Amino acid sequence: MSQSTASPDIFENLRLELRRGCLSLAVLSQLRTERYGYTLRKALAEQGIEMDESTLYPLLRRLESQGLLTSEWREEEKRNKRFYRLSPEGKQMLKQLVTEWQKINASLNGIL
Amino acid sequence: MDLLERYLQAVQFWLPKRQKQDIVAELSEDLRSQIEEKQAELGRSLTDQEVEAILKRCGRPLEVASRYLPQRYLIGPTLFPLYRFVLAVVLLGCVVPRCLIWLAFLIADPAHRGYLHMENLWTTVLYFAAFTTLAFAIAERSGVRLDALGNWSPRQLPPARDPNRIPRINSLLEIAFGAAFSVWFAVAFWPRPVIDLYGIHFVMSSVWRTLFWGFVIVGVGNLALSCANLFRARWTRQSAVFRLLSDAAGSALFCWLFRAHPLVSISANGLSPEKSAALTAALNWWMPTAFPYVVLVSLIIFATGVYRIIRIGRTAAGTTLGVMAGA
Repeated sequence: MSQSTASPDIFENLRLELRRGCLSLAVLSQLRTERYGYTLRKALAEQGIEMDESTLYPLLRRLESQGLLTSEWREEEKRNKRFYRLSPEGKQMLKQLVTEWQKINASLNGIL
Repeated sequence: MDLLERYLQAVQFWLPKRQKQDIVAELSEDLRSQIEEKQAELGRSLTDQEVEAILKRCGRPLEVASRYLPQRYLIGPTLFPLYRFVLAVVLLGCVVPRCLIWLAFLIADPAHRGYLHMENLWTTVLYFAAFTTLAFAIAERSGVRLDALGNWSPRQLPPARDPNRIPRINSLLEIAFGAAFSVWFAVAFWPRPVIDLYGIHFVMSSVWRTLFWGFVIVGVGNLALSCANLFRARWTRQSAVFRLLSDAAGSALFCWLFRAHPLVSISANGLSPEKSAALTAALNWWMPTAFPYVVLVSLIIFATGVYRIIRIGRTAAGTTLGVMAGA
């Protein structure tokens, strides 16, 4: 009889793959209100979604280059910070993604 | 903060020029916020070790910078299978013919060593590999997509290959040429005191009788197998084992032929006795010299036969294409 010995590395890869697709949705959802990177990271972490700097900031840049976010540099607490928020296209996209997520979630709940 | 400055400088080094300032300013702000929060929590300044821990958690500078860069390939995943195939064909095309030519020269003249200059060969291989890689890298860079090859349809794809199928035309050709050759061989080389082949007289030693009948039996066996294959056009374990035994017997006879000195003398009308003796000596010298190559070819034939049997076993176990297993 064969014994299952799934490698922890394989699990970690699959976990990251599964998580990667959700990160954009999580970030967009948190940017309904304006935030800068560090507070965004903290807000996500409080909701159980930990993201390191080198994942979050490139993702923010990508979403901005796709026109889903707008950003501006502003001084706060004597330091320059870059604030992000959803653009009108981003709001529209977030709605679509949330609908898609709910469909996938419902399907998976049915399957699992 | 010295460690932080050094870290940011290291990240900045790997970033594209236009985005350097922007990215580093944002990353710097985040890291400073982390440090300040930790200081507020501890009620004191952080030690170098504590700052180091924060920076190490952030990641290696090159790794951090790489996440800001667009993913670039020299040859991307779409073109890569095609690149690997073309590279293999190109390299085989430049190596195999040269090796065959070298082998041919070596068989003709074992003292000769000069026709395969390995350095030249490796240079050629390197050039071909470099040009192929460069061509594909340019194609990748230019954004060539497989769609450029035109529309495709499953109907245009080549038929599924069944490695165990024996085309009937192959069997027919084997029967036709095998029968013609066997008859010619039997008539021409029938063991007798002097074999006269188109005016050339061969005197063979007594071993020729055994070799002759051996070749005849192998030839008849191969003909019988070709006839059977004509009616059942697939390799089966039995037919593959029979072909292996037949090839092994034929190869053994050839090896024996090259070692047994079957030629006593050779002569022809108009050929002086001295030249006849020289020709006989040359042939009797050449045959044992070429013996290792005959063994090599025999081993290749034998390995092919063994592979055929293994392949049949795999097909039976359903490890080849699903379509074939289902066929």
